[in-house]
Amino acid sequence: MPYRCRSQHAVTPQGRGRYPGFDVLDNVHAWDDVTAGVVLARLALPGGLAFFTSAEVGVAAPLLDLLLAQDGDPRVPVLALIDARLAAGETDGWHYDEMPEDAQAWRDTLRLLDEDARARHSGRGFAELTSGKQAALIQAVQDAGTDGQEWHGWSAEHVWSLWTRYACTAFYSHPWAWNEIGFPGPAYPRGYLNAGLDSREHWEVADHDDEDPIPFADRVETARHEHADVVGEERAQERGL
Amino acid sequence: MRSNYRDIRARNDSAWLIPNDGTRTDHRLRADMRRYGDEDEVDIVVVGAGAGGGVLTQRLARAGWRVVCLDAGPFWDPDTDWVSDERAAHTLYWTDPRQIGGTDPVPLGSNNSGRGVGGSMIHYAGYTPRFHPSDFHTFSADGVGADWPIDYWDLKPFYEAIEQELPVAGQDWPWGDPHAYPHHPHPVGGNGQIFLRGARAAGIDARVGPVAIPNGRFGNRPHCIYRGFCLQGCKVNAKASPLITHIPDALASGAEIRPDCMVTRVVVDDRTGAATGVNYVRAGREHHQRARAVAVAGYSIETPRLLLLSATGRHPQGLGNDHDQVGRYLMVQGAPQTAGRFSEEIRMYKAPPPEVSSEQFYETDPSKPYKRGWAIQTVSPLPITWAEHVTAQGHWGAPLREYLRDYVHWATLGALCEYLPQPDNRVTLADEKDRHGLPVAHFAYSQCDNDKQLTRAATASLETILRAAGASEVITIDRYAHLVGGARIATHAEDGVVDGNHRVFGTPNLYVVDGSVLPTQGSANPALTIMALAARAAARLIAAARGGLAEAQLASR
Repeated sequence: MPYRCRSQHAVTPQGRGRYPGFDVLDNVHAWDDVTAGVVLARLALPGGLAFFTSAEVGVAAPLLDLLLAQDGDPRVPVLALIDARLAAGETDGWHYDEMPEDAQAWRDTLRLLDEDARARHSGRGFAELTSGKQAALIQAVQDAGTDGQEWHGWSAEHVWSLWTRYACTAFYSHPWAWNEIGFPGPAYPRGYLNAGLDSREHWEVADHDDEDPIPFADRVETARHEHADVVGEERAQERGL
Repeated sequence: MRSNYRDIRARNDSAWLIPNDGTRTDHRLRADMRRYGDEDEVDIVVVGAGAGGGVLTQRLARAGWRVVCLDAGPFWDPDTDWVSDERAAHTLYWTDPRQIGGTDPVPLGSNNSGRGVGGSMIHYAGYTPRFHPSDFHTFSADGVGADWPIDYWDLKPFYEAIEQELPVAGQDWPWGDPHAYPHHPHPVGGNGQIFLRGARAAGIDARVGPVAIPNGRFGNRPHCIYRGFCLQGCKVNAKASPLITHIPDALASGAEIRPDCMVTRVVVDDRTGAATGVNYVRAGREHHQRARAVAVAGYSIETPRLLLLSATGRHPQGLGNDHDQVGRYLMVQGAPQTAGRFSEEIRMYKAPPPEVSSEQFYETDPSKPYKRGWAIQTVSPLPITWAEHVTAQGHWGAPLREYLRDYVHWATLGALCEYLPQPDNRVTLADEKDRHGLPVAHFAYSQCDNDKQLTRAATASLETILRAAGASEVITIDRYAHLVGGARIATHAEDGVVDGNHRVFGTPNLYVVDGSVLPTQGSANPALTIMALAARAAARLIAAARGGLAEAQLASR
């Protein structure tokens, strides 16, 4: 098994998680080497950005942090993972016929989000706003999508889908995110022996909830409050204006 | 029906032709493969090595035909090319540019489009239900869809043969034409247990299977290890795909599989009206493979595209398209997925996603305002797909993370709704070009009212099952699954692209042998039906050749 310093054990994004001590990387020795290679590569310090311009990073970095509630370290390097993907042209192939292909769509939507910011906040760009004001601008795009409206001539739903698809694909490909959600990651050649309700392998860790029960509904409610603290107040002001 | 392994090996030895030493690929078999030159006029060139092309190639090669099968993607080695990882499975998908439109655009790529030897069956879940007898005459019975020129009983012997060759595991099947499966059902994981529990409580009939994963060893294919990554390519060689179920025998029978070849045109001689071969690009160089016949097996987007790209003076709108039929009646199944939250740990990533299904709602219910129906199956999204499910509820930021942290507590079921074939749901050529300079496909899709009613009814049935199993919350995402149609079988050229022998109308030695020929889709996953149709098409080609019939005589049969 590759060496890992002690401070890097069971890392989760922003230290959040419900599976104490669970670290998928404890089992690297049980993976095939091709899979181990692609997963471990996600831990490397990202190289310099190849796709996004500096101005685009100013918009994309806070956008992605907000979408995934990455408000502190350790952070999954979502921006760098998306940058590498777009630089390599590694898209899913298809694109909506009213929109350009994904790489150009990313450039265009970041520029338009910045224009939204300048139009609503006396010329200040998205990067210069408080996270509350940024979140309100993002929420407006999602709201337009939910209502079936357009955003700068494109289906807002399609724009929202572009952002969340890339963001979630990058974030939930990272072993730290797997630690957070209790997913053990690669499973070849070992596989699973104990499938079935409430069954675990010896290397799986029980949901912490079992020891410290907080109903799921309450946890979601707490998360909604957290989220509302970011989006809510500013959004009310936006609507009031 | 139980299998006789001697009979299986007499027609397809693939499972015994892969190594039994823990590696997944017999490189010697590939290295020693028979190879043809571009100038050799082979008996048939097959375009695409998926469910249709793979089976056709194997059957014809075994009958002594000189076959070259071209595929745009790689000749996979599961040991080195595939990973046990959701994100890195990206290489399995067809990711050349395509445009989607209509009022309900259908995402392609990872959702439904494969590349490489084995085709989309490399990343399909593994469900292999048969169509029901009613699927072959929905127009006569219900006034919707279309009637096929063949019926279920024409296809039944080929269903049985393919089920043995994959082989399929499952309980005795009570729906459609009741039948048994060659292998016993697999044990089920948490997701399957929830489905069975909820179905029992709700009074809905459910069965384990049908899944194309042998229960036990099969030939040199090992037992499934229940690792849950079926959709990322089976590194075990347990889940069936043509790469392991038909290609090894094709190689041993003298077929050439030529990977990394993008076919750009079916070449037709306008003087004779016959196809003479195909043009393709390999490693940046253009080639022409001569052949006495051509079979296109590129699936529902690339097959119509290739026919449209192959226009000639005699067929200025594309091959088989004299009546504006190419690309039309392309179908997807509505695939709402509903997840339910349970206090127990489900851990749906363990065990294969395909486990349990129900076809109780498959047929038209005369008491309902809509026609046709849906099937229900377990689906077990891995984290990235699960995140998509959660974001579809409108969650982002902290609530998104909270739902994902709860991943182990959720069970997920999916429906496959029989959306109806419609002429305007079609592939056309867009202005945009791909890296070969060829126009890319544009796929327009819009739902009709019957489709929307089916989705609502199916979603309600999923929620009923999960609630009955004890779910405290249910959340649904509307998705699409599978592609079929686009070059459908018909009796007359005015209604389709190929005849009952898969021959393209207007070009006597050109065939389409893949999912694009289906006139209706039922609520069944299409892989088994595509393979059975290919086996039937091959049997008819072989019989005709043995009878010494000239191409023109066969056309009038």
